[in-house]
Amino acid sequence: MDDSSGRKFQKELNGGLVGLVLLAVLDGSSEDLYGYEIAKRLALANDGTSIFKEGTIYPVLRALSAADLLTSRIVPSYSGPPRRYYRITEQGRAVLAEWRTIWQATRSFIDRFIETGNSP
Amino acid sequence: MNRSAPRSIDQYLKALREELAGEDSALIQDALYDAEEYLRAEVAAHSDKSESDVLELIASTYGAPDEVASAYRDTEAKVKAAMTTPRRVPKSGTGAFFSVFLDPRAYTSLFFMFLSLATGVIYFTFAVTGLCLSAGLAVLVVGIPFFLAFVALSRVVSLAEGRLIEAMTGERMPRRPLHQGNTPGFWARVSQMLKDRRTWTTLAYLILMLPLGIAYFVMAVVGLSVSLAFIFAPLVATAGRYEWFGIPPDVQTSPAWLGSLWALPLMVLTGVLLLTLLMHLARGIGRLHAMYAKALLVAPVTQ
Repeated sequence: MDDSSGRKFQKELNGGLVGLVLLAVLDGSSEDLYGYEIAKRLALANDGTSIFKEGTIYPVLRALSAADLLTSRIVPSYSGPPRRYYRITEQGRAVLAEWRTIWQATRSFIDRFIETGNSP
Repeated sequence: MNRSAPRSIDQYLKALREELAGEDSALIQDALYDAEEYLRAEVAAHSDKSESDVLELIASTYGAPDEVASAYRDTEAKVKAAMTTPRRVPKSGTGAFFSVFLDPRAYTSLFFMFLSLATGVIYFTFAVTGLCLSAGLAVLVVGIPFFLAFVALSRVVSLAEGRLIEAMTGERMPRRPLHQGNTPGFWARVSQMLKDRRTWTTLAYLILMLPLGIAYFVMAVVGLSVSLAFIFAPLVATAGRYEWFGIPPDVQTSPAWLGSLWALPLMVLTGVLLLTLLMHLARGIGRLHAMYAKALLVAPVTQ
């Protein structure tokens, strides 16, 4: 992933996927999460290094929140500025279900081309 | 990329601010806030390492300042495109003049003008009470904590007012409160807060909101009642003629020809024109007020 064409491809892929992953993480969590916590969960799921640059998830969280897919509340913190905790809304769950179907359909479509004759 | 990597949180935030130079000041405030939340949490999580060691790894986890800056730019552009539906607006002539009725911003700005009397009274009371009590309590032990709490609360009020203005006028305002960073030491923080231009411009804004709110409210009420009175004049005249609703038949008009039948369409026309002008006025005031609020409440881009 060091060459620039690989990075560019990854960045373009991430465009819509970050939102999907964030919705899924918040949907699967029983408690509200704040940006740093979400970033660390994503990194942990991928052996410590996140596929996304963690700085890119904050603007997406704000965008999802502005679209009423997430709600948030502010909690003061000792280590820095007050943290904003996010929770998924009913509307967010509906959108997540829709995106999940789209993603699954897209993935199986793409896999048909990528994996034929080239399976590991 | 070619520049030396930031070695401290302050350097990182400075680099990020430079990368975002020229962007909307509210977006910059949000981006710096998010970055600071992450960086401080990361440094706190690695208490065994020094700040500069943690910052060395930041480029591969959080992203280098230029990467983060471009993420904010991209997301902002997409959100803006998704949230504002393009409308076909007539470009010239009478169509352009009356198209103000199709602009939701004109209605919300008019509503804002009504609302600003209430918010103006609340802000003024809050600011004056806070300042007076701070001055009065200054000689006592509780004086300084009280003043600090008052300033902190005024930032929350400032954020709320920003959200209101964004909802009413569409001007991008911060979605995060102002945060000053963690300067060590209580007195250093106090002096930093007192030196911050925004502490004082925010208070000025809250106090000035009362006269402004009164002016806006009066303009909205007078404009709306006069233009609606003109528009509904034929209804009143007809009601008077047949004595509906107990309206007497001899409604006096001055000059007298205004009451004659042929003048009624002219009155309706005048009323519609006045109402359209009021909508233009409301939209213009909404825009001007948003710029004014941004100048006083939001951090200047160059610091």
